[in-house]
Amino acid sequence: MRISSKRDLLAACLWAGAAVAAVAVSDSLLVRTALGAPMVFLVSGHTVLRAIGVRTTSAMQHFVYAVGTSLAAGIAGGFALNAAGFLTPLGWAVWFWAVTAAAALVAAGRRDTPDLPAWPAPARVRLWQGAAFMLALLVATGAYALAVRDEAAYREFKYTAFWLLPSASGESGRIIVGIRSAETQPQRFDLEITLDGQPYAIFRSLTIAPGDTWAREIPVPVLATRQTAEARLYRPEDNRLYRSVSTLVPRI
Amino acid sequence: MPAHFAAGTRINPLRAGIRFVSAVVGPDLRDGSADAPSQRANSGWIAVLCLTIAAALLLVVAGHAAGRRGYDVAPPLFWSGVVLLVAPTSLRIAWPTTARGERLFLLFLLAEALFYCKNVYSPMSFSGYDEVLHWIAAEDLITARRLFLSNPLFPIGPTYPALEILTTAIVDLTGLPLFVSGTLLLAILKGAFIGALFLFLESIAGSPRISAIACLAYMGCSTFFLFDSAFSYGSLGIVLCVLTFAVEAASKDLVGGPRLKSLGLIALLLASLAVTHHVSAAFAAIYFGALAALEALRRHDSLRIKTSIAVGLVAILAITLPSLWVQARGIPLTGYLGPVIESGLDTLLGNILGAPTPRSEHLGAPDKALYMRLTTLLALLLVALGLATGFFRSLAMAAPSGAQSGWRPIQDILKRRWHDSRLVLLSLLAFGLPVSVAFRLTVAGWEIGNRMGTFVFIAVGLVVAVSIVHYWQGRTPRGWRRIAPAVALVIIVLGGVTSSSINPIHGRYRVAADQESIEPMGIETARWAKEWLGAGNRFTTDRINRLLLAGYGRQDVRVTIVAGVDPARIFEAERLGPDEFWALARSDIDFLLIDLRLTTAPPVLGFYFQPWEARQGASLSGAALLKFNDVKGVTRIYDNGWIVIYDVRGLHENF
Repeated sequence: MRISSKRDLLAACLWAGAAVAAVAVSDSLLVRTALGAPMVFLVSGHTVLRAIGVRTTSAMQHFVYAVGTSLAAGIAGGFALNAAGFLTPLGWAVWFWAVTAAAALVAAGRRDTPDLPAWPAPARVRLWQGAAFMLALLVATGAYALAVRDEAAYREFKYTAFWLLPSASGESGRIIVGIRSAETQPQRFDLEITLDGQPYAIFRSLTIAPGDTWAREIPVPVLATRQTAEARLYRPEDNRLYRSVSTLVPRI
Repeated sequence: MPAHFAAGTRINPLRAGIRFVSAVVGPDLRDGSADAPSQRANSGWIAVLCLTIAAALLLVVAGHAAGRRGYDVAPPLFWSGVVLLVAPTSLRIAWPTTARGERLFLLFLLAEALFYCKNVYSPMSFSGYDEVLHWIAAEDLITARRLFLSNPLFPIGPTYPALEILTTAIVDLTGLPLFVSGTLLLAILKGAFIGALFLFLESIAGSPRISAIACLAYMGCSTFFLFDSAFSYGSLGIVLCVLTFAVEAASKDLVGGPRLKSLGLIALLLASLAVTHHVSAAFAAIYFGALAALEALRRHDSLRIKTSIAVGLVAILAITLPSLWVQARGIPLTGYLGPVIESGLDTLLGNILGAPTPRSEHLGAPDKALYMRLTTLLALLLVALGLATGFFRSLAMAAPSGAQSGWRPIQDILKRRWHDSRLVLLSLLAFGLPVSVAFRLTVAGWEIGNRMGTFVFIAVGLVVAVSIVHYWQGRTPRGWRRIAPAVALVIIVLGGVTSSSINPIHGRYRVAADQESIEPMGIETARWAKEWLGAGNRFTTDRINRLLLAGYGRQDVRVTIVAGVDPARIFEAERLGPDEFWALARSDIDFLLIDLRLTTAPPVLGFYFQPWEARQGASLSGAALLKFNDVKGVTRIYDNGWIVIYDVRGLHENF
């Protein structure tokens, strides 16, 4: 049996209004996702479908059409908000509210708005079946969490990054030297800086733990001629050159 | 049996052979109706299959984890997971007596589970080449809050911004991160696609069983598992495209106001499609154009003129809306798609006519495991068998009812008498499969064949389903007829996974292999550039690091040094020649990034920098990449042992 009520339109408008309020006042991911995501995927399309007056023959067909129409409403919104210079969170919330409210008004005002298709009869689910669904959901979610953890933790390449830069703040009399470790063990280094080949600064026995960054801003003399600063990283255990970087010291 | 009777009916082998072939490939629709009497969905089966799928997903995740570490156990883990995922669910979907609702639920479950498998390859970020391009565009949109921003790595992308619009709408409304929002959108799209495809095929075949089997066979398409699940405009385009088909097909028997209302919805969807994806919009235009032509050709139906006008209107919309968008935005579509189509066609025709092989074909296809090739081949053979035994039967389904004996339905079709042009069109479109396979066998035409498959498989799925239901299984199959076609469908779906990429299992780093080359060190170097150099510096480097620098590093990456000089010329030679030096010096490039891992193996896809680089397939040397150490005015500002960044701003001082 088809559903002849139009209460769904009122519910859609309330939902859209709640989504605007959530975007305006709330930072809660959960609240905003619960209210906002259905606006993009379903609610706006449902009301537009009702406003156009397309008759759907099954709940499944109605859902699929509503998703497609919501996507179309969202795409149209992108262009409209871009033209209005209002591509912001509040702009989006207002857009979906406006589409939903306008479509609901049209659908409510029409005499020939088709009835909604009947919901399919709910399947009988026994206790063990419900438990099996929950277990399946738990295993799939857990497996995804494992995948995320593995992706975040595993590194194929272990390395130490070393850099030497002119000052980012634009101060001409400074250079920046830095080390970042993406190794599995703490590493110990000696660091030597030269200016046009002359020793300028030395840092002994720097210990960098995995994931740590060591950086220093070093004042250097500014001359009328261009100088080249070079930084060398040594491993104390064998005193061999491990990395070497260089930069130009800006002139006066 | 009397002797004189036996002698009088001596069997003519030729006639018997013809009769046999005719019975196999002919238009005989066994049993007429395709569906067994309606049943209730079996929640017990669904519960067991949900558990099976969850266990399968765990195996797939374990396979990726083992693959990251290079363990030999990765393929057995991953593939046993995929088989466990696909086999029981497909068998149940294809079972003759399964209820409509149960088939639908299991189709959604299977499609989303396959999407899950694609997602756990890289569960925290987009990793496909095209995905990163769209992710960069979405980041740009969130940052600038303006559409149509230029993207040097993907010049045509900003003119089709629908995917980015929807993703950023979700980000803005929910506050979710971009990757999560994109993944949520893709999951919804996957479900909407299966729903729309099922409704479309059900409304033209009139059978949920045929429709469900056709959806299952569609999953055997090489683009279903990865390409159309990627964060790319094609994934949205195909959904809107099939939705349009579904709405149009559902309205085929409507007249007057209801038909006009459906037309309104179709117009809305076609307008969205026009700004979403060029190839999907082109396919919709081809489909509706051909449908309108068939409607114009058709005889027999008293409502023909009204139907023809309605279909004609849809065809006009499908053709004009994308053309208007291309004109309005000045999209250089011919410049973008033209060379791909031209070189693909030239190569294919050259292969057929025995012309000399173009240079691109010397690269050959990237290496792929033998078991994956064999599964793909077997799946293809099974699809071909389905097409052979289903083609005339699909056409016969379109013939006027009552004309179902012998070859009479086909004669009716040839006399332009059919009741549904969609069935005729889809049956004919299935012929696109051999063409798409032929394209896929060439390097230059692979792209065309791959994209064609996405659309052609809609027709292929239907014809294969008709063949299974009306020939291989029938209405109430027994014995091998029950199992064998369902097993064939399992192999076809597995073929879709094996043909989707070179290696769907997360493995160790490989040189110039798109998503197999994206790993944490490259990403962290790009992030370092943003943190320590700031955003927007002009960088040039190889294809993969270019992508990472643009995406994670928010750098202004350049695909040419100056007009006419590609990065490959700067990086490949062991010495920086005067032409290259001066090109670099008078360019506005700030930094060069070299990745010494490129020197460890030849490029998997055949090129390091651009597909058209001169030394395709040739290895790079460390000396070539490190030559900038000795160039005056160039400093080596960053080094992590594999990746080095050179500052070349000192070269520009004299210009």
